[in-house]
Amino acid sequence: MDQMSKAILLVEDNPDDVKLTLRAFKRNNMLNPIVVARDGVEALDILFARGAYAERAGKPLPTLIILDLKLPRLDGLGVLKAVRGDARTRLIPVVIMTSSKEEQDLIQGYSLGANSYVRKPVDFAEFLEAVRVLGIYWLMMNSPPPERHIP
Amino acid sequence: MRISTKERLVTGIGLAAIGVIAAMIWWTHSEVEYANHQRRVTSEIARGLTNLRLVTFDYRLYHTERARVQWDAVSDRVDRLIANARFQAPVQMAILADMLDKRTTVRGLFAEITAARGADHVDAPLDEVSLQFETQLLSKMLSYQQENLTDAFRLNSLATERIIDAQQRMMFVILAGLALIAAILVGTSWFLRRNVLAPIAGLQQATRQVAAGNLDFVLGMPGDDEIGELSTNFDAMTRSLRQSFAQIERSNQELAALNEELKAFSYSVSHDLRGPLRSMDGFSLALLEDYGDKLDDEGKDALERIRAASQRMGYLIDDMLRLSQVTRAELKVTRIDLSEIAREIAESLDREQPGRSVEWAIEAGLSIRADPTLMRIAMQNLLQNAWKFTGRTDGPVIRVGALERDSKTMYFVADNGVGFDMAHADTLFGAFQRLHRVDDFPGTGIGLAIVQRIIRRHDGSIWAEAKEGEGATFFFTVKELEYGSDEQSHPAG
Repeated sequence: MDQMSKAILLVEDNPDDVKLTLRAFKRNNMLNPIVVARDGVEALDILFARGAYAERAGKPLPTLIILDLKLPRLDGLGVLKAVRGDARTRLIPVVIMTSSKEEQDLIQGYSLGANSYVRKPVDFAEFLEAVRVLGIYWLMMNSPPPERHIP
Repeated sequence: MRISTKERLVTGIGLAAIGVIAAMIWWTHSEVEYANHQRRVTSEIARGLTNLRLVTFDYRLYHTERARVQWDAVSDRVDRLIANARFQAPVQMAILADMLDKRTTVRGLFAEITAARGADHVDAPLDEVSLQFETQLLSKMLSYQQENLTDAFRLNSLATERIIDAQQRMMFVILAGLALIAAILVGTSWFLRRNVLAPIAGLQQATRQVAAGNLDFVLGMPGDDEIGELSTNFDAMTRSLRQSFAQIERSNQELAALNEELKAFSYSVSHDLRGPLRSMDGFSLALLEDYGDKLDDEGKDALERIRAASQRMGYLIDDMLRLSQVTRAELKVTRIDLSEIAREIAESLDREQPGRSVEWAIEAGLSIRADPTLMRIAMQNLLQNAWKFTGRTDGPVIRVGALERDSKTMYFVADNGVGFDMAHADTLFGAFQRLHRVDDFPGTGIGLAIVQRIIRRHDGSIWAEAKEGEGATFFFTVKELEYGSDEQSHPAG
């Protein structure tokens, strides 16, 4: 099985949040491999095998993208736009997971084609629950689109 | 020159022209009167002289004493008339003097004739020589009298000439006066058009331009008259309007920038401030879970406190954001059923805490024009407060209703809970102000601040009446904002 098979792409710049999210996945027994991108540009490089990730050409695309909105270089909405604008990545489920529940973010997120919008709660117990539900739905219940490979 | 001065000048000239004409008419009239009088007098003199001639012939034929006496009488009368005729023109005076001279001569001649005849023998025939002499004298006398008569006629025609002269002068003066008045009228009309009506049309155009929003319009009609002043003032007015608008524009831009900044700030608060709290809570929990067995109770308690504080700060941040969202949200006013909203909130509270039994007394048919989302948030906070503060009361009752006071509808939410001391009522609606200890009744103290903002956004007011241990009542009014078009009759209540 390829490293990227059934993998989750986590786009998150805050290392604390990366660590906590990984912990939440582990605690919920979700064993999918997780690839972390620290900013929007890196996320797109990974997806489209560009720049430092050129050697990833031909490898399968992630099953799920978990996307923060506030990111350096290119923000989450920009990443979402690029993902939805490309035929290869258009069908990958994208879950926005962010601190904000500003109405404008919600509306823009959904109108750009986000599949889900989860607000990170301060209480880690609640966060665990949110990640658990998210994992059950998007990784187990949901039938993903046919697997695609990076050309 | 100012228009009012010009107007006064024109009126003055017109009045003066009319005055001159009137004076001329009056002068001509008196002149004609005088000349008429002269004519009458000279006619009378002429009549007297004719009469005298007749009497002279009478005497010549009959030589009677009666004729002589009559001649004297008529002669005296003519003399009197001539003496009384006081003419002023030198020609007339010369003629009069000449007439008087001749009259004296005639009287002398007549005296000579009568003396020759003698007083008593009037009818006695004279000798040939005397008769011839008398005839000579008489014809001389008649010739003088004839000259006198001619003079009288000359005087008469002089008077007539004078009348004609006066009339001609009057005609000339009237025509000249009328021409002057016409000139004044034409001049005034020209002046009105050029200096008053045209600038007023310009002003009218300018006001139309400015009214249409063209504040850059400059009239530019300076002058030292009223219109010039008006124009200068008008330009000054548009200039200051322009400046005010620019000022308002600037203020608006500043406000918009400030608003944008505030938005960015609250966005940043929402994104960035909660991150560290998540770390604090998450890693405290990780510590507890992974190393809980190596910590004593005090260590665990410390970690729990860190978690509780993080979470509480998370709530505070959320409340702050809610408060700013309530302020920023756009108001969409429709007619809503307040009773229905209250019932729904009451049901959800009952559902969330089935262990509590609260008696709800919600008046039916409370209809209100307000923003449904915001009003629901306000009612949620008020009812949650009532619910919370009746938590330790036996037989808790929460009432929702409306009452009329001073022809205003006041809505209220009343409870029989712990209430509060009215001395602190002024701090009640401040953000993060609390009248109870957190361990007694939890909360951040933002609820009533949010309610107050919502009511204020509806141009209403909110206040509370309470007594410690006996409950609290929150009253609020809402200005019936006239948005939308679904104006329907108010249901009672």
